[in-house]
Amino acid sequence: MSNLELNLSQFSPVMQTPLQHFNLSAKQEKMTDAKGVWAHEMALLGYIHLRGNAQNKDFLTAVKKATGVDLPTAACSISVASAITMLNLSPDEWMLICPREQRAGLQKKLEAALTGIHSQVLDSSGGYTSVWLQGKQATDALQHCTVYNLHALTPNKVVGTTFGKASVIIYRLDNGFCLVLRRSFADYIWRYLARAAAPYGLGIAAL
Amino acid sequence: MFVINCPHCQEAREEEEFHYEGEAFIARPANPEAETDDAWGDYLFMKKNPKGWHWEMWNHATGCRKILVAKRNTANHAIAGSWTLSEARKVYDKEQYDAEQATK
Ligand SMILES: [Zn+2]
Repeated sequence: MSNLELNLSQFSPVMQTPLQHFNLSAKQEKMTDAKGVWAHEMALLGYIHLRGNAQNKDFLTAVKKATGVDLPTAACSISVASAITMLNLSPDEWMLICPREQRAGLQKKLEAALTGIHSQVLDSSGGYTSVWLQGKQATDALQHCTVYNLHALTPNKVVGTTFGKASVIIYRLDNGFCLVLRRSFADYIWRYLARAAAPYGLGIAAL
Repeated sequence: MFVINCPHCQEAREEEEFHYEGEAFIARPANPEAETDDAWGDYLFMKKNPKGWHWEMWNHATGCRKILVAKRNTANHAIAGSWTLSEARKVYDKEQYDAEQATK
Protein backbone atom coordinates (compact mmCIF):
# COMPACT_ATOMS: atom_id res chain seq x y z
CA MET A 1 0.00 0.00 0.00
CA SER A 2 2.72 2.46 0.95
CA ASN A 3 4.57 1.53 -2.24
CA LEU A 4 1.53 2.39 -4.31
CA GLU A 5 1.22 5.78 -2.62
CA LEU A 6 4.90 6.45 -3.25
CA ASN A 7 4.58 5.56 -6.93
CA LEU A 8 1.49 7.68 -7.40
CA SER A 9 3.19 10.68 -5.85
CA GLN A 10 5.98 10.34 -8.42
CA PHE A 11 3.57 9.84 -11.30
CA SER A 12 3.95 12.68 -13.76
CA PRO A 13 2.10 11.82 -16.97
CA VAL A 14 3.45 13.12 -20.28
CA MET A 15 1.06 13.74 -23.16
CA GLN A 16 2.24 12.01 -26.32
CA THR A 17 0.75 11.67 -29.76
CA PRO A 18 -0.14 8.17 -30.95
CA LEU A 19 2.41 8.68 -33.78
CA GLN A 20 5.19 9.50 -31.30
CA HIS A 21 7.21 6.40 -32.20
CA PHE A 22 7.58 7.49 -35.84
CA ASN A 23 9.48 10.59 -34.62
CA LEU A 24 8.00 12.62 -37.46
CA SER A 25 9.25 15.98 -36.20
CA ALA A 26 12.85 14.85 -36.71
CA LYS A 27 12.09 13.99 -40.35
CA GLN A 28 10.60 17.36 -41.27
CA GLU A 29 11.86 19.13 -44.36
CA LYS A 30 10.90 22.09 -46.50
CA MET A 31 8.26 21.26 -49.11
CA THR A 32 9.51 21.01 -52.70
CA ASP A 33 8.11 19.61 -55.94
CA ALA A 34 10.57 16.71 -55.73
CA LYS A 35 8.03 14.75 -53.68
CA GLY A 36 4.44 14.20 -54.70
CA VAL A 37 2.93 13.85 -51.22
CA TRP A 38 3.59 15.91 -48.10
CA ALA A 39 2.18 14.94 -44.74
CA HIS A 40 2.48 15.91 -41.14
CA GLU A 41 0.63 15.20 -37.96
CA MET A 42 -1.36 17.97 -36.34
CA ALA A 43 -0.64 16.56 -32.93
CA LEU A 44 -2.52 16.94 -29.66
CA LEU A 45 -5.44 19.09 -30.74
CA GLY A 46 -8.66 19.47 -28.78
CA TYR A 47 -11.67 17.46 -29.99
CA ILE A 48 -15.18 18.07 -28.76
CA HIS A 49 -18.22 16.07 -29.83
CA LEU A 50 -21.39 18.13 -29.86
CA ARG A 51 -24.88 16.67 -30.22
CA GLY A 52 -28.17 18.48 -30.51
CA ASN A 53 -31.19 19.18 -32.63
CA ALA A 54 -30.28 21.32 -35.66
CA GLN A 55 -33.98 22.24 -36.05
CA ASN A 56 -33.92 23.86 -32.61
CA LYS A 57 -33.13 27.58 -33.08
CA ASP A 58 -32.14 27.93 -29.40
CA PHE A 59 -29.52 25.23 -29.86
CA LEU A 60 -28.02 26.93 -32.93
CA THR A 61 -28.04 30.34 -31.26
CA ALA A 62 -26.36 28.98 -28.12
CA VAL A 63 -23.59 27.30 -30.11
CA LYS A 64 -23.01 30.49 -32.08
CA LYS A 65 -22.86 32.45 -28.85
CA ALA A 66 -20.31 30.07 -27.30
CA THR A 67 -18.07 29.69 -30.34
CA GLY A 68 -18.67 32.72 -32.52
CA VAL A 69 -19.13 30.36 -35.47
CA ASP A 70 -22.28 29.19 -37.25
CA LEU A 71 -22.81 25.48 -36.78
CA PRO A 72 -22.55 23.75 -40.20
CA THR A 73 -26.04 22.27 -40.49
CA ALA A 74 -25.89 21.08 -44.12
CA ALA A 75 -24.90 17.43 -44.56
CA CYS A 76 -21.12 16.90 -44.92
CA SER A 77 -20.35 20.61 -44.49
CA ILE A 78 -17.75 22.32 -42.30
CA SER A 79 -17.22 25.72 -40.71
CA VAL A 80 -13.67 27.02 -40.43
CA ALA A 81 -12.71 29.93 -38.19
CA SER A 82 -9.30 30.99 -36.94
CA ALA A 83 -9.10 28.76 -33.90
CA ILE A 84 -11.94 26.32 -34.44
CA THR A 85 -13.04 23.89 -37.14
CA MET A 86 -16.54 22.40 -36.99
CA LEU A 87 -17.32 19.20 -38.86
CA ASN A 88 -20.86 18.02 -39.58
CA LEU A 89 -20.63 14.29 -38.87
CA SER A 90 -24.32 13.46 -38.89
CA PRO A 91 -27.62 15.37 -38.82
CA ASP A 92 -27.38 15.72 -35.03
CA GLU A 93 -23.66 15.38 -34.36
CA TRP A 94 -20.66 17.65 -34.88
CA MET A 95 -16.97 17.52 -34.11
CA LEU A 96 -15.30 20.72 -32.95
CA ILE A 97 -11.52 20.85 -33.33
CA CYS A 98 -9.44 23.52 -31.61
CA PRO A 99 -5.97 24.03 -30.13
CA ARG A 100 -5.55 21.76 -27.11
CA GLU A 101 -5.10 24.63 -24.65
CA GLN A 102 -8.45 26.12 -25.72
CA ARG A 103 -10.38 22.89 -25.32
CA ALA A 104 -11.39 23.25 -21.66
CA GLY A 105 -12.50 26.86 -22.14
CA LEU A 106 -14.53 26.00 -25.22
CA GLN A 107 -16.21 23.11 -23.44
CA LYS A 108 -17.12 25.33 -20.48
CA LYS A 109 -18.54 28.03 -22.76
CA LEU A 110 -20.61 25.47 -24.68
CA GLU A 111 -21.93 23.86 -21.51
CA ALA A 112 -22.87 27.25 -20.08
CA ALA A 113 -24.61 28.42 -23.26
CA LEU A 114 -26.44 25.10 -23.70
CA THR A 115 -27.81 24.88 -20.16
CA GLY A 116 -31.43 23.79 -20.35
CA ILE A 117 -31.18 22.88 -24.05
CA HIS A 118 -31.36 19.19 -24.99
CA SER A 119 -27.78 18.58 -26.12
CA GLN A 120 -24.47 16.91 -25.30
CA VAL A 121 -20.92 18.28 -25.11
CA LEU A 122 -18.23 15.63 -24.85
CA ASP A 123 -14.46 15.95 -24.66
CA SER A 124 -12.98 13.33 -27.02
CA SER A 125 -9.47 14.81 -27.11
CA GLY A 126 -7.92 11.62 -25.79
CA GLY A 127 -9.33 9.59 -28.65
CA TYR A 128 -8.23 11.30 -31.86
CA THR A 129 -5.39 12.75 -33.84
CA SER A 130 -5.20 14.52 -37.20
CA VAL A 131 -2.93 14.06 -40.20
CA TRP A 132 -2.59 16.76 -42.83
CA LEU A 133 -1.91 15.75 -46.42
CA GLN A 134 -1.03 17.89 -49.41
CA GLY A 135 1.08 17.83 -52.56
CA LYS A 136 0.39 17.36 -56.25
CA GLN A 137 -0.22 13.62 -55.85
CA ALA A 138 -1.87 13.65 -52.44
CA THR A 139 -5.23 12.74 -54.00
CA ASP A 140 -3.70 9.80 -55.90
CA ALA A 141 -2.00 8.48 -52.78
CA LEU A 142 -5.08 8.84 -50.58
CA GLN A 143 -7.34 7.26 -53.20
CA HIS A 144 -5.42 3.97 -52.71
CA CYS A 145 -6.64 3.92 -49.10
CA THR A 146 -10.36 4.67 -49.32
CA VAL A 147 -13.48 3.72 -51.30
CA TYR A 148 -14.74 7.32 -51.32
CA ASN A 149 -14.27 9.11 -54.66
CA LEU A 150 -11.98 11.93 -53.56
CA HIS A 151 -12.80 13.97 -56.65
CA ALA A 152 -16.27 14.36 -55.10
CA LEU A 153 -14.65 15.70 -51.93
CA THR A 154 -14.66 19.38 -52.75
CA PRO A 155 -13.06 22.01 -50.49
CA ASN A 156 -14.98 22.61 -47.24
CA LYS A 157 -16.63 19.21 -47.34
CA VAL A 158 -16.26 16.39 -44.81
CA VAL A 159 -17.02 12.68 -45.12
CA GLY A 160 -16.68 9.69 -42.87
CA THR A 161 -15.45 6.78 -44.94
CA THR A 162 -13.18 3.73 -45.05
CA PHE A 163 -9.41 3.74 -44.74
CA GLY A 164 -8.09 0.26 -45.45
CA LYS A 165 -9.90 -1.92 -42.94
CA ALA A 166 -10.45 1.03 -40.61
CA SER A 167 -12.41 4.26 -40.94
CA VAL A 168 -11.51 7.95 -40.93
CA ILE A 169 -13.11 11.34 -41.16
CA ILE A 170 -11.67 13.28 -44.09
CA TYR A 171 -12.22 16.97 -44.71
CA ARG A 172 -10.78 19.01 -47.49
CA LEU A 173 -9.55 22.59 -47.55
CA ASP A 174 -8.31 24.44 -50.65
CA ASN A 175 -4.74 23.15 -50.38
CA GLY A 176 -5.08 19.64 -49.00
CA PHE A 177 -6.83 16.98 -46.93
CA CYS A 178 -7.10 16.52 -43.22
CA LEU A 179 -7.62 13.00 -41.87
CA VAL A 180 -9.18 12.81 -38.42
CA LEU A 181 -8.50 9.35 -37.05
CA ARG A 182 -8.95 7.36 -33.90
CA ARG A 183 -5.90 7.20 -31.70
CA SER A 184 -6.02 3.41 -31.54
CA PHE A 185 -5.84 3.15 -35.35
CA ALA A 186 -3.14 5.81 -35.79
CA ASP A 187 -0.25 3.36 -36.22
CA TYR A 188 -2.12 1.27 -38.81
CA ILE A 189 -3.36 4.30 -40.73
CA TRP A 190 -0.01 6.08 -40.80
CA ARG A 191 1.82 2.95 -42.04
CA TYR A 192 -0.89 2.35 -44.66
CA LEU A 193 -0.70 5.97 -45.82
CA ALA A 194 3.10 5.98 -45.94
CA ARG A 195 3.07 2.78 -48.01
CA ALA A 196 0.45 4.18 -50.41
CA ALA A 197 2.37 7.44 -50.80
CA ALA A 198 5.81 5.84 -51.23
CA PRO A 199 5.68 5.54 -55.06
CA TYR A 200 4.96 9.28 -55.32
CA GLY A 201 7.60 10.27 -52.80
CA LEU A 202 6.46 11.05 -49.26
CA GLY A 203 7.91 13.97 -47.36
CA ILE A 204 7.23 15.11 -43.82
CA ALA A 205 6.32 18.76 -44.19
CA ALA A 206 7.91 21.26 -41.82
CA LEU A 207 5.20 23.13 -39.96
CA MET B 1 -20.84 -4.44 -54.71
CA PHE B 2 -23.38 -1.69 -54.95
CA VAL B 3 -23.96 1.88 -53.98
CA ILE B 4 -26.46 3.05 -51.37
CA ASN B 5 -27.79 6.57 -51.09
CA CYS B 6 -27.55 7.67 -47.46
CA PRO B 7 -30.52 9.94 -46.65
CA HIS B 8 -28.59 11.45 -43.72
CA CYS B 9 -25.36 12.26 -45.61
CA GLN B 10 -27.48 12.99 -48.70
CA GLU B 11 -24.98 11.26 -50.92
CA ALA B 12 -24.49 7.94 -52.71
CA ARG B 13 -21.81 5.89 -50.96
CA GLU B 14 -20.05 2.58 -51.53
CA GLU B 15 -21.52 -0.50 -49.91
CA GLU B 16 -18.25 -0.94 -47.98
CA GLU B 17 -19.15 2.08 -45.85
CA PHE B 18 -22.32 0.34 -44.64
CA HIS B 19 -23.18 -2.51 -42.35
CA TYR B 20 -26.24 -4.68 -42.94
CA GLU B 21 -28.77 -4.53 -40.12
CA GLY B 22 -31.40 -7.04 -41.22
CA GLU B 23 -35.03 -6.98 -42.26
CA ALA B 24 -36.85 -3.72 -41.57
CA PHE B 25 -40.13 -3.12 -39.72
CA ILE B 26 -40.24 -6.25 -37.59
CA ALA B 27 -42.31 -5.21 -34.60
CA ARG B 28 -40.73 -6.07 -31.27
CA PRO B 29 -43.27 -7.78 -28.99
CA ALA B 30 -44.71 -5.10 -26.72
CA ASN B 31 -44.54 -7.35 -23.68
CA PRO B 32 -41.56 -9.73 -24.04
CA GLU B 33 -42.10 -11.29 -20.59
CA ALA B 34 -45.50 -12.55 -21.65
CA GLU B 35 -44.31 -14.11 -24.91
CA THR B 36 -43.87 -17.85 -25.28
CA ASP B 37 -40.38 -19.06 -26.18
CA ASP B 38 -41.68 -20.02 -29.62
CA ALA B 39 -43.08 -16.55 -30.29
CA TRP B 40 -39.89 -14.90 -29.05
CA GLY B 41 -37.80 -17.27 -31.20
CA ASP B 42 -39.92 -16.38 -34.22
CA TYR B 43 -39.39 -12.70 -33.56
CA LEU B 44 -35.64 -13.13 -33.27
CA PHE B 45 -34.90 -15.62 -36.01
CA MET B 46 -37.73 -16.06 -38.50
CA LYS B 47 -37.11 -13.65 -41.35
CA LYS B 48 -38.82 -13.39 -44.75
CA ASN B 49 -35.62 -14.06 -46.73
CA PRO B 50 -37.27 -13.50 -50.12
CA LYS B 51 -35.79 -13.76 -53.57
CA GLY B 52 -36.73 -10.35 -54.91
CA TRP B 53 -37.70 -7.07 -53.25
CA HIS B 54 -36.76 -6.80 -49.60
CA TRP B 55 -37.17 -3.98 -47.07
CA GLU B 56 -34.02 -3.90 -44.99
CA MET B 57 -32.01 -1.73 -42.63
CA TRP B 58 -28.45 -0.59 -43.14
CA ASN B 59 -26.11 1.26 -40.81
CA HIS B 60 -23.87 3.88 -42.41
CA ALA B 61 -21.06 2.52 -40.28
CA THR B 62 -18.07 4.63 -41.36
CA GLY B 63 -20.14 7.75 -42.10
CA CYS B 64 -22.97 9.21 -40.04
CA ARG B 65 -23.47 5.90 -38.13
CA LYS B 66 -27.22 6.23 -38.53
CA ILE B 67 -29.72 3.59 -39.56
CA LEU B 68 -31.47 3.87 -42.90
CA VAL B 69 -33.92 1.70 -44.78
CA ALA B 70 -33.41 0.45 -48.33
CA LYS B 71 -35.73 -1.50 -50.59
CA ARG B 72 -33.33 -3.85 -52.34
CA ASN B 73 -33.83 -6.68 -54.79
CA THR B 74 -31.95 -9.63 -53.31
CA ALA B 75 -31.68 -11.32 -56.71
CA ASN B 76 -29.92 -8.54 -58.62
CA HIS B 77 -29.01 -5.91 -56.02
CA ALA B 78 -31.20 -3.28 -57.65
CA ILE B 79 -32.18 -0.64 -55.09
CA ALA B 80 -35.62 0.94 -55.47
CA GLY B 81 -34.90 3.61 -52.90
CA SER B 82 -33.46 4.42 -49.49
CA TRP B 83 -34.97 6.54 -46.75
CA THR B 84 -34.72 7.46 -43.10
CA LEU B 85 -36.65 5.06 -40.86
CA SER B 86 -39.67 7.36 -40.56
CA GLU B 87 -39.82 8.26 -44.24
CA ALA B 88 -39.41 4.62 -45.25
CA ARG B 89 -42.24 3.59 -42.94
CA LYS B 90 -44.69 5.80 -44.86
CA VAL B 91 -43.62 4.35 -48.21
CA TYR B 92 -43.69 0.81 -46.82
CA ASP B 93 -47.15 1.21 -45.26
CA LYS B 94 -48.56 2.62 -48.49
CA GLU B 95 -47.07 -0.27 -50.45
CA GLN B 96 -48.61 -2.80 -48.02
CA TYR B 97 -51.96 -1.01 -48.20
CA ASP B 98 -51.94 -0.87 -52.02
CA ALA B 99 -51.05 -4.56 -52.21
CA GLU B 100 -53.95 -5.40 -49.87
CA GLN B 101 -56.39 -3.35 -51.92
CA ALA B 102 -55.22 -5.04 -55.13
CA THR B 103 -56.04 -8.51 -53.79
CA LYS B 104 -59.55 -7.52 -52.64
ZN1 LIG C 1 -24.71 8.59 -43.78
